[in-house]
Amino acid sequence: MSTDKQVITLNINGESIELLLDGGETLLETVREQLGMTGSKRGCNQGVCGACTMLVDGEPVRGCLALSSACSDRSITTIEGIADGLNLSPIQEAMVEHGGLQCGFCTSGMVLTLSAFLAENPKPTREQVRHALSGNLCRCTGYTKIVHAAMHVAEAYSA
Amino acid sequence: MKYFEPTSIDEAVAILAREDDARCVSGGATLVAMMNADLLSPSTLVGLRRVSGIEGITKNQQGLRIGAMTTHATIAKSGLFVAGMNVINRAANQIAHPPIRNMGTIGGSISHADPAADFPTALIAANASIEVSGMDGQRLIPADEFFLGYYETAVAENEFVTAILVPKGPENAVGEHVKVTRVDGDFATVSVSLVLAFNENQCSYARIAVGAVAATPLHLDEADAVLTDSALTDEDIDNAAALLVKASDPIDDVRGSANYRRALIPRLLKRAVSLLKTDA
Amino acid sequence: MSMPNTAVGHDVPRIDGREKATGAAAFIDDMSLPGMLYGAMVFSDYAHARILSYDTSEALKLPGVKAVITGDDFDAVLGGVFLKDEPPIAMGKVRYLGEPVAAVAATDLKTARLAAQLINIEYEALPNVLSVDEALDPKSTLIHEDLSDYFRLKPSSFEGNILWKASISEGDVDQVWSDCDVIVEGEFQTQAQHHLYMEPCGALAKPEQNGGITIWSSCQSVFIVQQKVADYLQMPMAKVRSLVPHVGGGFGGKGGLHIQTLVAKLAMTCSRPVKMTLTRTEDFEIVRSRHPIRIRMKTGAKNDGTLIAREIDMVLDGGAYADESPAVLNWAVFVARGPYNIPNVRSNGQLVYTNKLRAGPYRGFGNPQVTLAGETQIDEIAQKLDMDGFKLRQLNAVKTNDAWIGGQNIDACGFDACMTGMLEATAGAEAEAAAASTSNKRRGIGYSALTHMCGIQSTSAEVHLRADGSVALVTGVVDIGQGSNTILSQIVADSLAIPVERVSFAAPDTDSSPYNWKTAASRTTYMSGRSVLGAAVNVREQLFTHAGEMLECAEHDLELREGGFVGVKGVADAQLSFAQIAGRAMACVGGPIAGTDTLVFDGPTLDPKRAIVDGFAFTNVGIYTFGMQAVEVEVDTDTGEVKVLRVWSAHDVGRAINPAMVDGQVHGGVVQGLGLALTEEMVWGENGNLINPTLMDYKIPGILDVPDFIQSIIIEAAEPTGPYGAKGMAENSLVGIPAAVSNAIANACGVRLRSLPFTSERVLRALDAAGK
Repeated sequence: MSTDKQVITLNINGESIELLLDGGETLLETVREQLGMTGSKRGCNQGVCGACTMLVDGEPVRGCLALSSACSDRSITTIEGIADGLNLSPIQEAMVEHGGLQCGFCTSGMVLTLSAFLAENPKPTREQVRHALSGNLCRCTGYTKIVHAAMHVAEAYSA
Repeated sequence: MKYFEPTSIDEAVAILAREDDARCVSGGATLVAMMNADLLSPSTLVGLRRVSGIEGITKNQQGLRIGAMTTHATIAKSGLFVAGMNVINRAANQIAHPPIRNMGTIGGSISHADPAADFPTALIAANASIEVSGMDGQRLIPADEFFLGYYETAVAENEFVTAILVPKGPENAVGEHVKVTRVDGDFATVSVSLVLAFNENQCSYARIAVGAVAATPLHLDEADAVLTDSALTDEDIDNAAALLVKASDPIDDVRGSANYRRALIPRLLKRAVSLLKTDA
Repeated sequence: MSMPNTAVGHDVPRIDGREKATGAAAFIDDMSLPGMLYGAMVFSDYAHARILSYDTSEALKLPGVKAVITGDDFDAVLGGVFLKDEPPIAMGKVRYLGEPVAAVAATDLKTARLAAQLINIEYEALPNVLSVDEALDPKSTLIHEDLSDYFRLKPSSFEGNILWKASISEGDVDQVWSDCDVIVEGEFQTQAQHHLYMEPCGALAKPEQNGGITIWSSCQSVFIVQQKVADYLQMPMAKVRSLVPHVGGGFGGKGGLHIQTLVAKLAMTCSRPVKMTLTRTEDFEIVRSRHPIRIRMKTGAKNDGTLIAREIDMVLDGGAYADESPAVLNWAVFVARGPYNIPNVRSNGQLVYTNKLRAGPYRGFGNPQVTLAGETQIDEIAQKLDMDGFKLRQLNAVKTNDAWIGGQNIDACGFDACMTGMLEATAGAEAEAAAASTSNKRRGIGYSALTHMCGIQSTSAEVHLRADGSVALVTGVVDIGQGSNTILSQIVADSLAIPVERVSFAAPDTDSSPYNWKTAASRTTYMSGRSVLGAAVNVREQLFTHAGEMLECAEHDLELREGGFVGVKGVADAQLSFAQIAGRAMACVGGPIAGTDTLVFDGPTLDPKRAIVDGFAFTNVGIYTFGMQAVEVEVDTDTGEVKVLRVWSAHDVGRAINPAMVDGQVHGGVVQGLGLALTEEMVWGENGNLINPTLMDYKIPGILDVPDFIQSIIIEAAEPTGPYGAKGMAENSLVGIPAAVSNAIANACGVRLRSLPFTSERVLRALDAAGK
């Protein structure tokens, strides 16, 4: 088994990390189990719920479906790379302030999806935000307040 | 699990031939989900992302060439799909959700051959051909002959899909993809891909493919013929749909019963026609 | 004494928000301990079978495997709340497909799972009992042969596979049907819904040197985990310590045990910490679901709209084990009358075993199901009488100081205010819906009234004053995402006039927290809020006693001042900080200041002179909440697809301690209710196999499946016993949604659906049957 493993360098949250990886290992497994970065959550492991959303080259992807070996020389951002120390990013701040999170299990995925979306669409409509979030499931909030949070960030940008 | 990243089609084919139980992986959206569910456990993965010449959409005389590694998102956003070929980007735009569209590729999707997926019917409606590469080079398989059964394609051992060739339809043709799903982004309960061209109020060209009503996408020349040169009245649509219903062989599953699926065929065909009439 | 932005009535952001937004909040699967092993399970391949033998030898030979346990490793202890019928792991028999029969601990997860596959279990198949009709058939095979020997907390009738019967009646329903001018009758069927908390269940256990065990798990009560695990493992509770990290939603599904006992047993067997987290599929297959209920209901009224009779017969499918089903049955039977003064009511319920996953508590506790039947019939009566549905509801609505069925007094009733608020909010909506309808896209509005309760069981709290005037709040309350840590901190902050930032919230720990039953039954704000307030007031009294002595004045001349001061009324300079008082108490006089409070819900129980009650699992409930919900749908009459366009939800919450969080509870409950109404259903195959145990196949609503327009209407009819007048607010926002959707579909296109969920296929079938 171990002979199938290869040394791969991943760039995660701006840091180059050399890892010994099995070819079938997913990004979610790598960050959670090898690196102890547990902010990305395993909700279904089938690519449906979005709790493991990460950014690869700035685009939201499913951590549970992305093979780590296929991510060398790409730039990976997890929830741990979003805040600057104790300074939350605007969307994190807005999620807290506007009730965009309850149990918090889907929150990392929501934050990453919205971070990427708002970077490309600083002045979205609510409907555009809803479409951007269409691949992230939440069972607590009914989604409305997550959209509020995104719109507050957008309004702050444009103000 | 071994992992290789060949840089050419030949190299990829050589690895497939050399390694036992090797599977190609493009975006991972389908294959890795199956591995996670313990439905599949290949001993070797052949990552295709560095293989040159199989990504992106290029225009040629006949129409378009879509590299197998082109993502759903790229296809959905492309403005190159004209003359009925837009049925493909209409379908791409309705696959799952944005993150899946960012990862998933057209080659990976059609290789999985889920009859409820969106690309298979769209490719048939667009009269596309699938380019597969193997030890003996490349061959083209018409979309109509590509899907052989549930999760089964005409791709032979040690071959893989490298491109999709889409011929331009009639200059004024337009395409649409409609589906009924339980929730947004779900696989279709039933889907219809349709390409039509109009001459005044007459339909001058029609190609219909219906998804999730049989083991493979359903396409009947006779049904196309009913709509072609018709005025696309409700009766015309019902007549075409009746042929499709008769040829369908749907199953009961959690998305819907066989009866419901049969009932949806004429109704979705009407929806697609009416959307295209509005567009035209 | 109001404190801007911190006090009761303000939208204080949740105190655990930052750690959740950054991913720093640890959930059970995020935890690990040195030397930790990983667990995996073997699940029954049969829905009903006798276990003949286990062969674990191959698994034990696998390098890395440290422990294998089966039913043979446990004492034959049966657990359960109202009926003790469930072993810690399958013993002797399996009663549903997927039931855990063995468990493994190994050095890594892959090895543990591989070892689980190597365990060979020999079964002798027994006939499956999968449907309610089979269960009711006296000739069917018994799922629990020893039912009559099981410990039963309260007496009730039972027979065959019927494990519990409950009923209540008032008036004389048989005599009044002939007096009714209009009668509606119908049968309704609801489905098994999965809680689908985003975080799958998991547990981590660490054996202790004193022979005890420490368990962290995703749960709704550390105390229930402690008590049940101690019972199953036959250990004193002093040796079982139960803790909880952040919990990724519960909704009732994590209210009892899941795998805590097995993980604890594995850890003790190999003397190492063991963690096991369920995959999503395992979670679907082995935890619990909402009860499918078959409901026959009949309601009669006079021509003037007065409701005079209602009769209900229901059968709950409880699955393989009783779990909390007797209580769900009880509540469904009890609440089926609805929030109306109907003088003649008979409500009967039976609870049956089937060879399927146990059903258990789930947001609404049987109420959404019976409300679907009841509120459908209210609309049907209104239609027959050609009367406005609102008018009919208002005419019969319970009011403050009316009696509930069984005689309990309703102390504070905001029902009428909910209806008035709803009428204002939805003014013109029906006309808009009608105007926007086309020949094949029909829009309609549907309403549902609802009632629920929030006073139940017991709780306690402590508030400790620290040296600098900060306070530590200690309760056993588990915040499963709804925000109770924040609400309870707000209550302490408000009652002591300090900012929320000066209140620390202790994580529940059975070694150090005062007892609280569990996060369930919409009870935390009402019940724990009361005890937290009591403890804080207790601290305030002690502060005043000290301050009176220190300032040499009478206590009634003192006042609390913002920011943590006690001062002399009318004398701005004469004040002491909490820190000064704490210093005196800690160093000189009286000892550290700590306030405690403990309480049990002791409202009046059912009045036997008024109602005949049989088989009720619990009778001491009360503090009723009320609501009115409305849904606008668009039905595609070609395909049967139903799109929800707008939702309005009016709730009497007594007092909104944190209005934004009330709003959050409303929106979340509404959307979960839409899943129940439209798409969610666990489906079992003919072998008792769950057909759709994945998120690919079982569909909860995503953002594009639900409207962006969800409007809360908050009514505050202060409950005299509630903290600041507050009542519970959690389950009720789901309760009326299936009924409102049903009434909206009927309003849109004239067809009536009686089986949940209202899938596009069922809607189309109904349209076809009606020739529409």
